[in-house]
Amino acid sequence: MHEYGVTKSLVELCNKEADKNDIKKVVKVYLKVGKFTGFSPDSIQFYFEHLKVDTKCSTAEIVFEEIPIKIKCNGCSKQHVIDEPILLCPNCGSDEIELLSGREFYVASIEGE
Amino acid sequence: MRRIKVLKPVLVSNQQRAKENRQAFDRLNSLVINIIASPGAGKTSLIKGIIEKLKNKYRILVIEGDIRGQIDSEMISKLGVDVIQINTVTECHLDAFMAAQALPKIKKKYDLILVENVGNLVCPAEFEIGEDYKLAMLSCPEGDDKPMKYPLLFHLAKVVVINKCDLLPYLDFNIVEAKKAVRKENPRAIIFEVSSKTGAGFEEICRHLEKELNAKKKKTAG
Repeated sequence: MHEYGVTKSLVELCNKEADKNDIKKVVKVYLKVGKFTGFSPDSIQFYFEHLKVDTKCSTAEIVFEEIPIKIKCNGCSKQHVIDEPILLCPNCGSDEIELLSGREFYVASIEGE
Repeated sequence: MRRIKVLKPVLVSNQQRAKENRQAFDRLNSLVINIIASPGAGKTSLIKGIIEKLKNKYRILVIEGDIRGQIDSEMISKLGVDVIQINTVTECHLDAFMAAQALPKIKKKYDLILVENVGNLVCPAEFEIGEDYKLAMLSCPEGDDKPMKYPLLFHLAKVVVINKCDLLPYLDFNIVEAKKAVRKENPRAIIFEVSSKTGAGFEEICRHLEKELNAKKKKTAG
């Protein structure tokens, strides 16, 4: 729903990084998206096709990497990868949970020439 | 072909702006609460109820985020507190840049700034605006499964308000299950059961706010 503005930020960030590193044409954008974010790769992809036109990213494609939700239980010290963001330990039921990953949303790298 | 490490969040500029907003709010010694709920959950009624109870003791400002119009801000200003309206036009949430539009319009110090975000349980959660914390609200007619369906907001909110509890006898809403669902996303959430209609639960919310106001004052004074 809100991916339009987000994808605009993504294109701006990639163009800025390309300028800074003297890249004339961005070919690939490596994007990490945590599973516990409100961002949908399909929507980002959809808007990217429109927003990249006439920029250094005009022929670029996004390589998405989904980052799983990983939690650590401070009760029993076990780590778990979970599908749904339920912050209770699947092992001992404790709510002393630390979120280790899943909230990421960043550009890892860009590839270009 | 070259590969360049970037390692920057996509929302880096929003995060930076939110940080600057937070610094500006801290300079005003204001406690800023980002109120997020679906349309019709009762955000404006919650704000009105808080104003009625606290306006004689604290200086309150309301920042109204709406896609269009100023119905809510007109209603709030009738209660004798200052309001700044921000229209997001096409956006389904307030972001840090939109919130920053309010800054030059703030001409004096306020103890409490209540920000009413655009009615939406999804998008506002991802965009920090420089708030001290998020308050998520759900109303009983919406169903007790909302925290499970919109986990991110309920995970990030420090305070969760369940509104329209006066309707509980007429609904299938299970308040025990609703609270359990909130705790699954956010074991530390501070939960209030209220009714804007009858005023039930507002004493408790205002007691919590006064505690937060004092804590903020201490933090920014030091």
